[in-house]
Amino acid sequence: MFLRPRHLFQVALLVAPAIGQEARVDFAAEVRPLLSDRCFPCHGPGLADPAAGLRLDQRSSAVDELGFAAIVPGDAEASELFSRLQHADPERRMPPVSSKLELEEHEVALLRRWIQEGAPYGEHWSFTRPERAARPAVDGNEWVRDELDRFILGGLESRGLTPAPEAAPATLLRRVYLDLTGLPPTLFELDAFLADDRPGRLERTVDQLLGSDAHAEHLTAHWMDVARYADTFGYQSDVDTHLWPWRDWVIDSFRENLPYDRFLTEQLAGDLLPDADESSRLATAFNRLHRQTNEGGSVEEEFRVEYVCDRVETMAGAFLGLTVGCARCHDHKFDPITQRDYFGLFALFDDIDESGLYSHFTNATPTPTLELPTEVQARRTVELEQKVAAAMTSARGESIPWREVLTTNFENAGEEGSSVELRGGAQLVEHEAGRSIEMDGENSVVFPGVGVFRRADPFRIKLDLRSPEAFERAVVLHRTKSWTDSGSRGYQLLIDQGRLMFALVHFWPGDAAAVRTLAPLPLDQWTTVELRYDGSSLAAGMEIWLDGEPAPLEVIRDHLTRTIRGGSIEHLTIGSRFRDRGFKGGAVRSITVMDLAPEIPHATNTLRAARAVLDDHRDRIRQIMTMRESPALPAAQRTAHVLGRGLYSDRREAVEPATPAFLPALLEGPVTSRLDLARWLTHPDHPLTARVHVDRLWRLTMGQGLVPSPEDLGSQSRPPVQAQLLDTLARDLIESGWDSRALLRRMVLSATYRQAADHPESLAADPNNDLLGRASTRRFAAEVIRDAALQAAGLLVERRGGPPVRPYQPPGLWQEKSGKVYRAGSGDDLRRRSLYTFWRRTSPPPAMTMFDAPAREICRVDRPATTTPLQALVLWNDPQFVEASLALAKRAVDLAPRRDEPNSGDRQRVEFLVRSLASRAPSTSELEAMTALLAAQREAYRGDLNAAHQLASFSLERAAHPDAQAEEPEPLDDGSAVETAATAVVASALLGLPDVVQRR
Amino acid sequence: MSKHDPDLPPSALPNLGRRTLLKGASMGLAGAALARVGGAQDQRAAHHPPRAKRVIHLFMSGGPSQLDLWDPKPLLRERNGEELPASVRQGQRLTGMSGNQASLPLAGSLFEFKQHGQSGTWASELLPHTAGIVDDLCVVRTMVTDAINHDPAATFLLTGSEIAGRPSAGAWTSYGLGSLNPDLPEFCVMVTQGKGGQPLYERLWGSGFLSAQHAGVQFRSGEDPVLFLNDPPGIDRATRRRMLDALKGAGRSAAKTAQAELAFRMQLSVPEVADLSNEPDSTFELYGEDARRPGSFAANCLIARRLIERDVRFVQLIHQGWDQHGNLPGAIRTQCRETDQASAALVTDLKRRGLLDDTLVVWGGEFGRTCYSQGALTPTNYGRDHHPRCASLWMAGGGVRPGTTFGETDEFGYNVARDPVHVHDLNATVLHLLGIDHERLTYRHQGRRYRLTDVHGSVVEPLIG
Repeated sequence: MFLRPRHLFQVALLVAPAIGQEARVDFAAEVRPLLSDRCFPCHGPGLADPAAGLRLDQRSSAVDELGFAAIVPGDAEASELFSRLQHADPERRMPPVSSKLELEEHEVALLRRWIQEGAPYGEHWSFTRPERAARPAVDGNEWVRDELDRFILGGLESRGLTPAPEAAPATLLRRVYLDLTGLPPTLFELDAFLADDRPGRLERTVDQLLGSDAHAEHLTAHWMDVARYADTFGYQSDVDTHLWPWRDWVIDSFRENLPYDRFLTEQLAGDLLPDADESSRLATAFNRLHRQTNEGGSVEEEFRVEYVCDRVETMAGAFLGLTVGCARCHDHKFDPITQRDYFGLFALFDDIDESGLYSHFTNATPTPTLELPTEVQARRTVELEQKVAAAMTSARGESIPWREVLTTNFENAGEEGSSVELRGGAQLVEHEAGRSIEMDGENSVVFPGVGVFRRADPFRIKLDLRSPEAFERAVVLHRTKSWTDSGSRGYQLLIDQGRLMFALVHFWPGDAAAVRTLAPLPLDQWTTVELRYDGSSLAAGMEIWLDGEPAPLEVIRDHLTRTIRGGSIEHLTIGSRFRDRGFKGGAVRSITVMDLAPEIPHATNTLRAARAVLDDHRDRIRQIMTMRESPALPAAQRTAHVLGRGLYSDRREAVEPATPAFLPALLEGPVTSRLDLARWLTHPDHPLTARVHVDRLWRLTMGQGLVPSPEDLGSQSRPPVQAQLLDTLARDLIESGWDSRALLRRMVLSATYRQAADHPESLAADPNNDLLGRASTRRFAAEVIRDAALQAAGLLVERRGGPPVRPYQPPGLWQEKSGKVYRAGSGDDLRRRSLYTFWRRTSPPPAMTMFDAPAREICRVDRPATTTPLQALVLWNDPQFVEASLALAKRAVDLAPRRDEPNSGDRQRVEFLVRSLASRAPSTSELEAMTALLAAQREAYRGDLNAAHQLASFSLERAAHPDAQAEEPEPLDDGSAVETAATAVVASALLGLPDVVQRR
Repeated sequence: MSKHDPDLPPSALPNLGRRTLLKGASMGLAGAALARVGGAQDQRAAHHPPRAKRVIHLFMSGGPSQLDLWDPKPLLRERNGEELPASVRQGQRLTGMSGNQASLPLAGSLFEFKQHGQSGTWASELLPHTAGIVDDLCVVRTMVTDAINHDPAATFLLTGSEIAGRPSAGAWTSYGLGSLNPDLPEFCVMVTQGKGGQPLYERLWGSGFLSAQHAGVQFRSGEDPVLFLNDPPGIDRATRRRMLDALKGAGRSAAKTAQAELAFRMQLSVPEVADLSNEPDSTFELYGEDARRPGSFAANCLIARRLIERDVRFVQLIHQGWDQHGNLPGAIRTQCRETDQASAALVTDLKRRGLLDDTLVVWGGEFGRTCYSQGALTPTNYGRDHHPRCASLWMAGGGVRPGTTFGETDEFGYNVARDPVHVHDLNATVLHLLGIDHERLTYRHQGRRYRLTDVHGSVVEPLIG
C-alpha cells in the first residue's frame, strides 16, 4: 500500500567516474567505505585478533607487514587480496560465505583498479582539519552571487551541466519563508514582496525573517529531535518532565544568534563556565533530556549507566556526527573508536549526583536541579534568608527545652490502646536480659502520628538497638514511604557498610543531608543510638550519639534544599521498608522521640518559624533538571570504568576522562571536565564540529544536506560530493566566530539557493541532486505541514515560549496505553505552533508521527520523508485540518460571496485558496478543475442541506471536547452553509497538493 | 508516480542481500512499487521459500506465569515454603521488588496440570480451550531474555533490542516483505481495551529508524478503527471521489494522487474488516460471546483472522494484565478467562479456513515469573516476580512443528536445563519461517547494518516442522 523508493546507488554512479574517464580511484570516497563494510568485520580496527593478522584499515599491514603481501601495489594479480575475491574455491573466497557479505563485480573491478594505481591510502575525509579549498575557476561568473556558488557551479560545469534558472519571485519568497521560519508568507506579505521593485527585496526579507521569532522557533523545532527533547520521561510510566524552560532557552539562543561554539559549550558545560549564570546552567538541561524510568524493581545503577551513555551518544550524534553507541559494548568494528574511548567520554558525563530512577511516589525533580525563581520569588528568597539569619543570631546559645512526645519500651506494644503497632508478626520477646522486639527483616514496629517533622523542626530520636551483623545495607528506622520508589523522601537511620547513617532526604542522593559514623556499629550488643537534628537542613546540624557520646561522623551528603515531607509517607517505623532490606536479625527495646516543647523560648521558636516560611517558599520555586558537577560524590562513583559488554554490572579497568584517541587531541593538557570537552569540540582545528554544523544549516535551508549520512561522518561514510565546499564553509563558520545566522544568510541569498526546482537537465543527469543543479524538493516536516496550514487559514496563534500546549488529538490514545487521560486545551492552545505541542514519548502526537516525526526517545539528526496513505487521511480528516479547510473557505466566501458573472466569484475563491496555501496563482487546469469541483459540491450540498450545515458548522473546539457542554454555534442560513461547505471541500482537496506540502 | 521522487532516500530500500536487491532493481523495483500501488500483489523475493506468509503475535504483556500455565513443577509443591536454594539462584540478579525480601519461599502452583491431546502436551486447568488444541501447538518452555523489567523486556522481545529507536519485528517484516494487500496496512496492532496493567508505548510497534510507512497501524474499537479514517460530517464518499477526480483534472498525475487513492480505498476496506455484523453465530460460539464486545481480546482475535484472510502481513495483539506480583491465583484466572478461548479459537478458525499452514501464530509475554513467592506465601495465595531466565511461549502454524514441547527447565523452574531459546533465536526463527535469513535482512543506518537480531540469534531448527 505504500510507495517505495526506487533509485539506489545513484550516489555511487555520480561518485564513480564514468567509464572511459581517466580519474583515479578515490580511496576515501570509494575504497574505504567498501573495505570498511565488507572487510573490516574481520580485518579492521577493534579486533583483538584480526583474521590472518591482516588489517585492511592500515596500509602498513595490508601492504608489507606480513610474510606475504595481501596487496602488491600496482599488481592486482599478484595481490593475495585480489585473488581471494575471485577464488575458485568457495571456502577460500572472500568475504567468506559465513559473513553473508558479497562483492559485486563492479566493486571487484574497483578494487582492482585501485591496486593497479598503487593502492594509495588516505586519511578519512572527516577526521582531518577542514581546510579552505582553492577558489574554483568557473566559466559562468555572472551567475555567482556568493563564493559558495563557485563550488556548485564548478561541479556542474565539470559535468557539462548548467544551473537551473532562478525560481519565480513568489516561489522564492515562499521557499525562503518556509526554510527560515517554517511558515508560508501571508498573502499580504506575498503581495508586498511582489510589489516591491526596489533592489535588494530578497535581502531585506531575509534579514527580517532571520530576526523573527518564527525563525528561532523553526530552528528550535529541528534541535528538539537532535536533543531528544520531550515533555515526559519516556519508558513506561512516562511522567511529565517540565523541561520546557530549556526549550525556551534554545529559542532565545537562536533569537540572539548565540555563536555556535557558545551554543554548544553552554549546553554541554554551562555549569562549569567561569562566567556561569542561570541561563548557562539552564542550558545544561540538554544533558538531562534522555529518557528516565521509575519502573518498580529496576536496578538503580543499570539505568544510571544508561543515562550517562545516552549523554555520550547524544553529544557524539549532535556535535561530532558520529554514532559511538557500538563502542559501548565492544571496540567499533568500522570506526576507530574504541571501548576505552567511549568510557573516556563516559567519565566526563558521569559527574553529577543523580539517581538511576526517578521517584514514583513523589514529584521530586531528579537531581541535580536548578531553581528558576521568578523575580518576585528571588527577591522574597533574599528577604526570608535575612530573616532566618537574624533569627539565628538571636537564638544562638539558647538552650533548647526538649519535649518527649514518645517514650516506650514496647511494654504494651500492639495491644489495644497502645500507640505502638506491631506489623508483619513482630512481637515482644521476653528473654534473660529483658524484653525486646526481634526484627526479621519484613516485620516492623510502627508509631502512628509520631515524628511528623518538617526540615525546619529540630528533633531527637533515641533508640536502643542490637545488630547481628555488619549489614551492607539495612533499614533500622525511618519515616519514609520507600527507597528508590520515593527517592527516600523523609528521614531515616540506615546501616550502611556496617555504619550508622542518618539522612534527611528530599530526593536521594542529590537533595539530601546525610552523615555516617566513621566507626562500625558494634555487633551483638545493646547500643543506645541517638539522632540529633537542629532544624538547619545542614549536615552540620546532624549528630549521631552512641551510648551518650557523640560519634565521629563523615558527611555523606550536604545539599538539602526542599521538603522532606509528602509522597505517601506513612508512619515512623522500625525494622523494614517497602522494597528495601530490613533489619533482619536485629532487635530494639526502647525508643524516645523528642521535639521542641510548646513553651520554648521566643528566639528558637522564631528561628523555626522563619526557616519554615523560607522552606515553604523554596518548595514553590520551579526547578529543572540540569548538570551540576558534584565534588561531594564518593570517589568510587567518580571513577569511571570500562564496562564489559556495556553492562553496568561488569566493571573492568578504570578509565580517565578523555576525548577519543583517533581524533586529534588539540588541547594542551588532560581533558578533565565537560568544559574541556566543549573546548576541544570548539577548537578551530577540530575536524568534525564545524563540518557537522555547516551540513546541518545547509540541510535546513537547502532541503538536503551536503553530507550523505548526517548521522554518520565516520569511516563508513562517503565524502560529500561537495566536500571542498563543506570544508570551506566550515572554515568560514569558524572564522566568523561561529556565526550561524551569517552563514544561513549567505546560503539563502546564494544563486544556488535561488534556482528553480524544475530543471529537466539536472533531473536527468543527477536525480539525487548531489550537484545542486536545481532546488531540492522534499516533503515538509510534520510541524511545518500543520503550522503552514494554520497560518494559511489565519488560525495560527503566534506566541513565543511557555509551557507545552495540548492541541487536538484523537481521544483515548494515552488512556489505552497507560490509563492517563489526554485533556486537550482550548482556544489558543489548539492553534499554537507545533513546537509547543506536548510531547509524550510513549504516545507522541499521531498526526506528527505519521509524517515521520520521531518519538524523541533518542537523538535523531535527520528524518525520513515518507509518503503514505495515512498522511492523506490526516490532511482530510484530522479535525485540525478540517478546521483549517473551513477557515480558508470562510475567508474565500467572504472575499467573493457572490458568484455573479460567469463564475468569476468561484474563480476568485479558488485563486484565493491556491494563493493562500501555495503562494502562487492556480494553473489553468487547476482553476478549471477546482471551480468545477466547487460547482459540483454546491449542487450536491443544495441537495443535502443537512450535510452542508454539518460541515459548515464544524468546530474544532467541539471535536476536542466532545463531552463538554458547548455553545450552539450561530445557525447559518442555508445559502451560506452551502457556499462555505462547498468551498471547504476545495480547500481540503488543495491541502494535499505537492506545492503545499513540499518544498519547491 | 514520479520517476525521481526526491522524498525517498536510497537507504530506505530493503536490503535483502545485494544480489537480490540489484536484480530487483534491474528488473525495475519501480515496477514492483507501481504494482503495489496498482493493487497487485507484491511478494518480494525471499531468501528461501517461506513457510509462513503472515504472522499473528499475541503479546501477553506483563509476563504470564509459566509455572501456572505450561511448565509443571511438582517439586515446588513438595517443597512449598522452603527457601530458594542459593545453588539454584547462583547469585543471579533479582528485581528490586523481591530482591530485598528477607526470604524467598518456593511457591508451588495451585493449579492442576494434565497432559492433553495425542502429543501429551502438559497444560494447566487454567487453559481448557488451549489445552484442546495442543496438537497444533509447539510449546517452548525455555524462552530466555536479557531484561528483568517490563519496559526493557517488552522492547527487547518486540524490537530485538532493549534500546529505544529500533524497528519492531512487524516493521522489519513490512520492510522486508512488503504488502500482500495494498488496501490495508501491512502491520496492524490491536490492544485489548479497558485492561490497564503495565503501560504500553508506541515503540513496541514503531518503525524505529525505518520510515513511518513500516510502523504498525493501530486498529481500535470505536468509530475510527484507524486514526482519521472517517470523513468529517458533511463529507461523503461521492464528495471525496469528486475531490480526487478534481485533483487529477488539475493536472496531478496518477502517481501524485496514488496515496490519496489508497487512502480512499482504505476508508472502505478498513471498516469492512472491523465490521463483525456478518459473522455467523457459530463464529461467536467459537471465539466466545466476548467477541461481540468491541475491543475485547476475543473481538481482536476475530478481527485478526479477518485481517489475515485479507492477507495482512503482520498482526499484533496486545493483552495487558499478566504482571502478577501478588494475588496471582485470582488474577491469572481472570487473564485466562479473557484470553484462553479466543486464542484457541483463532488457531482453530485459521486451520478450518486453510490459513494456518502459512500463518504463524505466536503467544507469549516478555519474560517468565519466579518460582518463589514475592510477598507472603499462604496456602491460597502467592505472587511471582519477573523472571528472565525461563518463560513459556507457544507457536502454531506457519511451518512450526505441531504437537511438540521444546526445551526443559530445571526442577525448580528457575534455570534452563536444556535447549534455551533466546529472544534473538525466536526472532531469527520467525523470520526464517517467513523466508528471510535474519542475518541478511539489514538496514544501513548510522554507518552500520542493523538487523532485528543485532549480531546474535540462530534459527531453532527443531521448532520447524
